[in-house]
Amino acid sequence: MTHRRWFTPWLLVAPAALWLCVFNIWPSINTVVLAFTNAKPLGGGRFTGLENFTRALDDDQLADALLNSVVFMLVCLPLLVMLPLLLAILVEKKLPGIMFFRTAFYTPVVASAVVVALIWGWVLDDRGLINGFAQWLGVVAEPVPFLTDRWLLLFSAISLTIWKGLGYYMIIYLSALGNVRRELHEAAAVDGAGPVRRFWSVTVPGVRNTMLLVSVLVAVSALRVFSELYVLSNGTGGPGGRDMSVVMLIQLYSRGFTGHLGYASALSIVLLVITIGPMLLLLRLDRKAA
Amino acid sequence: MRRYWAGLALAATTAVAGCGLGEADQGSAAAPSANLAGEVKGRVSLQTWALKPKFTDYMQGVISAFEKKYPGVKVEWLDQPGDGYSDKVLSQAASGTLPDVTNLPPDFALPLVKQGMLLDVSQADPKLSDEYVAGGLDAYTYAGFQGVYGYPWYLNTDVNYWNSELMTKYGLDPKKPPATFDELVAQARTLKGKSGGKVYLMSRRPELGDLAEAGIPLMSDDGAKFTFNTPEAAALLDKYRDAFKEGLLPRDVLTDTYSGNAQLFNEGTAAWTTGGGNYITSLATDNPTLAPKVVPSKDMGVPPLYVQGLSVSKRTKNAPAAIALARWVTSAENQAAFAHLVSIFPSTKASANDPYFSKSDGTNAGDAKVIAFASLAEAKMLQPVVVTDAMSKFVRQQFALAISGDISSKQALDAAVAKCDELLKN
Repeated sequence: MTHRRWFTPWLLVAPAALWLCVFNIWPSINTVVLAFTNAKPLGGGRFTGLENFTRALDDDQLADALLNSVVFMLVCLPLLVMLPLLLAILVEKKLPGIMFFRTAFYTPVVASAVVVALIWGWVLDDRGLINGFAQWLGVVAEPVPFLTDRWLLLFSAISLTIWKGLGYYMIIYLSALGNVRRELHEAAAVDGAGPVRRFWSVTVPGVRNTMLLVSVLVAVSALRVFSELYVLSNGTGGPGGRDMSVVMLIQLYSRGFTGHLGYASALSIVLLVITIGPMLLLLRLDRKAA
Repeated sequence: MRRYWAGLALAATTAVAGCGLGEADQGSAAAPSANLAGEVKGRVSLQTWALKPKFTDYMQGVISAFEKKYPGVKVEWLDQPGDGYSDKVLSQAASGTLPDVTNLPPDFALPLVKQGMLLDVSQADPKLSDEYVAGGLDAYTYAGFQGVYGYPWYLNTDVNYWNSELMTKYGLDPKKPPATFDELVAQARTLKGKSGGKVYLMSRRPELGDLAEAGIPLMSDDGAKFTFNTPEAAALLDKYRDAFKEGLLPRDVLTDTYSGNAQLFNEGTAAWTTGGGNYITSLATDNPTLAPKVVPSKDMGVPPLYVQGLSVSKRTKNAPAAIALARWVTSAENQAAFAHLVSIFPSTKASANDPYFSKSDGTNAGDAKVIAFASLAEAKMLQPVVVTDAMSKFVRQQFALAISGDISSKQALDAAVAKCDELLKN
């Protein structure tokens, strides 16, 4: 017996649709609207046209933040596409105790980004584990400024992101590797292909779509980096604030009684546009390769 | 396709036009002025900031006495946690649910004053200046706005604290702590040399308040622009840069927030910090062995004035009770009782001659309290209330660049002033 009431499907999707409208769609529309105003948290604002965007063009902080985000993405992208794949190939093998290694590699993924960044902060600090150990060994006379040099701080955050992301992308690759037919490997081996040749000619083409997915995920998350840089720099954005990411800038301008909501919204739109760029590029590259 | 884009453009235009954003004119959201006269009765709400559970008994006593004095009144006391208080007040203000009486420091009160959300208490109390000290009232008086927008509640200032054990161990006399910045640098050099670089005397970078403390005017008299890019300010930053280069400050001072300095002091890695008059009392909890070894001294320049106050919402439906309650909580006797519990100082003139504040009990905590109380006479609010988080952060970043030697002090100050002016206008 079936009941056909026209509103039943709407009722089923209503809670999710309501949630989506209130917490995603409306804030997104509001962000676009606010980007063209000088809105403050209290008292609204007035329409200012493209003023926020022209202001962004002259903003040295934004230029630094964009450079940081792009460097972050360019370093993370190849490493987080290839290293998890190699790791997945390693742990794919059915060896005794392999579950331990799979779990160990995945553990950083489930840890909170803030907790992980705090731990890394203690490790990399001037008085931290690495510098203490290096000085004790006599390898360095002065502590290495991991957290007080602009580029070292950025690369420390990149290292943390890669370490934390390895396990996550490894799991994605593990499931993709399961779909690469074993006969292809066997045929290639019979034809005399070694492990490296089989990797490039069988494994990589077999997981190419997954690599594209991972590339897009890594590119987007690298451009939106926040926690790692925020916690490692103690919220200051590094020496001179030159290690800020675009999201840190947005947070800076949107907070508090005197937040510059209009400008923060304009920065959000700049970030959105910049994030869409690499996604389109990767999709085009994939289409060409196919 | 063309129709699609036309539709999108129309939707965007409609959205922008229909978003209800108007010119943020001052007082556009102003509530009608509350009726100040009338009998003190009915319900009234009071919001404080992180007083529970430490001062629950005190506040309950003050409220009970108020309800006893005015039998027809019922006070609803809300205490908000320390973290996120500004966000809480902001959401209350935006949603029109600000309590009748709210604890607001002067910089929190200013945006609400601009929106006409707070009551000018001088209308209800024309003789405020007879009861409260000028510094406290000045803190709630804003350029461009007539009136006083809060009852000053309690005051505090900063005192220098020195680790006498470290100073003695490394060749300094804790009885003669530095009284000027140059002396500070000289003693920091001695301490560094004799401790082999293990201990620092200086462990914080300068902020806007440090410039004001050195007598550098931060803003023009009319409050329209910032003016701290002076040769004197550049010279001060140069001194910090040289000290940093010499290794007299820890390297992570460039990225640490102010609490980093207090933490280093508590750990025994830094021999100098600054804090309120009650710092030693709180240190006794965190590091009981260090607390007795701490020696207080007066701030090196113009001491900073920290003010807390109670503001009355303009939307209150019970203005007579709200004003009476704010006056009651900030009265001389209630403030004095509060100040006997914790080292804060009353904002009322009647408390000026209370020997409790001017005579030490012989302990270092008692000495700190007396030094702080004496400093209040010359203390000033060093940072203008119009300075926002974004401004402070940018200034700190530019100062860090100057101290690390990446840019000149003049460049840093010029950039900081330009950014602050831009943010002030927007």
